[in-house]
Amino acid sequence: MSITAETAKEHAKDPAVLCCRAEEGITIQASNLEDPAIFDDLVDSGLLDLEGALTIEQVLGAKLTKTCDSLCPLTADVVEGAKVVEEAAEEAVEEEVPEAVAPAAPAAPVSTPGGVLKIHIGEGKDIDIELPLGVAGGAAPAPIPAPAVQAAEAVQAVAEEEKIVRSLTRKHYKITEVKRGPETKIEGTTLYIREGIEKECVESQELVYDLKIDIITPEDYHTYSETIMDVQPIACKEGESEVGSGTTRVLDGVIMMVTGTDANGVQIGEFGSSEGYLDENIMWNRPGAPDKGEIFIKTQVTIKEGTNMERPGPLAAHTATDHITQEIREALKALEDDSLVVDTETFNQVRRPGKKKVVIVKEIMGQGAMHDNLILPVEPVGVLGAKPNVDLGNVPVCVSPLEVLDGCIHALTCIGPASKEMSRHYWREPLVLEALHDTEVDLCGIIFVGSPQINAEKFYVSKRVGMMVEMMDADGAFITTEGFGNNHIDFASHHEQIGMRGIPVVGMSFCAVQGALVVGNKYMTNMVDNNKSESGIENEVLACNTLCHEDAIRALGMLKNAMAGEEVKTAERKWNPNVKATNVELISNVTGKPIELVKNEQSLPMSQKRKEKYD
Amino acid sequence: MKELKYGDKIIRMEGVIVEIHDGCVGIDLKGRLGYLKIPMRMLITDYPLVVGQEVAWNTSFVEQLGPEANDKYVSNLDTYNRRQEEMRKANAKTKEVEE
Repeated sequence: MSITAETAKEHAKDPAVLCCRAEEGITIQASNLEDPAIFDDLVDSGLLDLEGALTIEQVLGAKLTKTCDSLCPLTADVVEGAKVVEEAAEEAVEEEVPEAVAPAAPAAPVSTPGGVLKIHIGEGKDIDIELPLGVAGGAAPAPIPAPAVQAAEAVQAVAEEEKIVRSLTRKHYKITEVKRGPETKIEGTTLYIREGIEKECVESQELVYDLKIDIITPEDYHTYSETIMDVQPIACKEGESEVGSGTTRVLDGVIMMVTGTDANGVQIGEFGSSEGYLDENIMWNRPGAPDKGEIFIKTQVTIKEGTNMERPGPLAAHTATDHITQEIREALKALEDDSLVVDTETFNQVRRPGKKKVVIVKEIMGQGAMHDNLILPVEPVGVLGAKPNVDLGNVPVCVSPLEVLDGCIHALTCIGPASKEMSRHYWREPLVLEALHDTEVDLCGIIFVGSPQINAEKFYVSKRVGMMVEMMDADGAFITTEGFGNNHIDFASHHEQIGMRGIPVVGMSFCAVQGALVVGNKYMTNMVDNNKSESGIENEVLACNTLCHEDAIRALGMLKNAMAGEEVKTAERKWNPNVKATNVELISNVTGKPIELVKNEQSLPMSQKRKEKYD
Repeated sequence: MKELKYGDKIIRMEGVIVEIHDGCVGIDLKGRLGYLKIPMRMLITDYPLVVGQEVAWNTSFVEQLGPEANDKYVSNLDTYNRRQEEMRKANAKTKEVEE
């Protein structure tokens, strides 16, 4: 396929190859040339040899001295009057800025819809020729860091005062033991859960047939569990304060865990299967996962048969579990003894006028059933008062960073245990925390946008996101998504909607090998891959491939560079974990702060056989 | 990770949507070549979903990664089947009592 003059300009430095037969004596134009995007596949399959080929900018306007067939690389011996282009100047510039921050890093595979061009020559002997068209599916471009200059930005920063919009205080209460007792109460560091509360939980929900509570202490970590549907902090608001401001009380050392099956024993989160021994299936200390050493209050809910894949089913399991959490919250609210507070944290929502204004767009699932999230409950990660984003039509909803950190999302997390963002993930969201604390940017807020099922609806909500970001006058935007699948369609569309308004965007998603993006567009140049697994796949370990501190730092570095006008280098064709390693090293060299990388599934106990299979 | 031997032999597979739930769809592969149940997010939908709609995707043949059975999955499967059996019995009993 021939290319346009515009494409030729973009690919000026790429090799020139004829797209179709050209006669001797013609003047070479863009329309004679093949799109360089397909060359990698042709070279891989041995159909094309680019050695000695001139670049597109060299051959344009030159004369062809010999009649050549299609897919013939243009070398100096068939072209007359090729231009000589100097290249040395550019490289020198790069070397002059060794102190520059150079993050960039996605290993975000973009596979454009390709296909195969079949040429059949029927005369005489049959000859079939197959040529891959476009970039082959699964190609994983992994960009290499581009040096960037930050200095310019620092100079223009006007010395305007920081402004604290609101504050949130978290009071931590330590729990070292969880027991059953006649009433739900907190005594010292012991939490008692009322005996017989299960019956009320069951009665509160028509679809819930049974509910069992297991208290899992670190000694019991090696027990079998059904698929983990959610991990939640146990927290309540103090007095009259609302989610996102005032004071929140939270229990340390204990979390709620929702698991369950339907009455036929089929897993509720049927596709996000993390069932098995807890200690082999949990990536400890991820933002959304339990920390090693914590006690789990684990409910095993049985819901009406066949409702595990319908919207009311998973919701009923969550609501029934919240009956217990709510009773613990009441007990926590009733505490009057401030001596039980082991730690107090204060989060300030700071606006920094004069700094680059950034917004975080978080894509949450909204395809239905377990693909749903409850937004803004009355209590942190509660159920009461919250609206499911599916019912809201998946339209974007703006929240403050403190609302996110105060549990404004109750996630009915679904597929892919390794990449799902549990309710607890939002409570400790690393990107929000990093951006909030970074004095070089002005975080204006968070937009939650659902990911609907049907494409038309995806584009509908995506356009609203674009409009919303436009109105904010943002200088830069992050777009994050969880897991992979059709949500990458709107993920790409959000990039387009924000990017076409001239706002630099950095995308964050699990991609690596298995989560390769299904679509792409020209605004998807800055990507951060959340993968941590050794082989770049969904490894069935809870929260392994979710957004962590190290990803947040890379994304921030990349967005700062993008806002400063630096370009991120094009990704490599296949996923290459070294890109991340190089970028992390570059960032820590510049900032002087070492970045400690989190562990992956290799640190968990694993049977020898599984090791052989996966890695 | 073990490389596939025949992974690049891509074939086009077609199917028919036979089940629609809020969270997943069931697809019968044409020619009785199997059944596939996938979560909603793994399906790309340009139109509202209706039973009987035809779908297609590219796939390769499924090949084994090795001769050994993975103990973890065997154990999970055993537990899973045992629980289902127990629950089925319990359900049957409840129904008898109700009658």
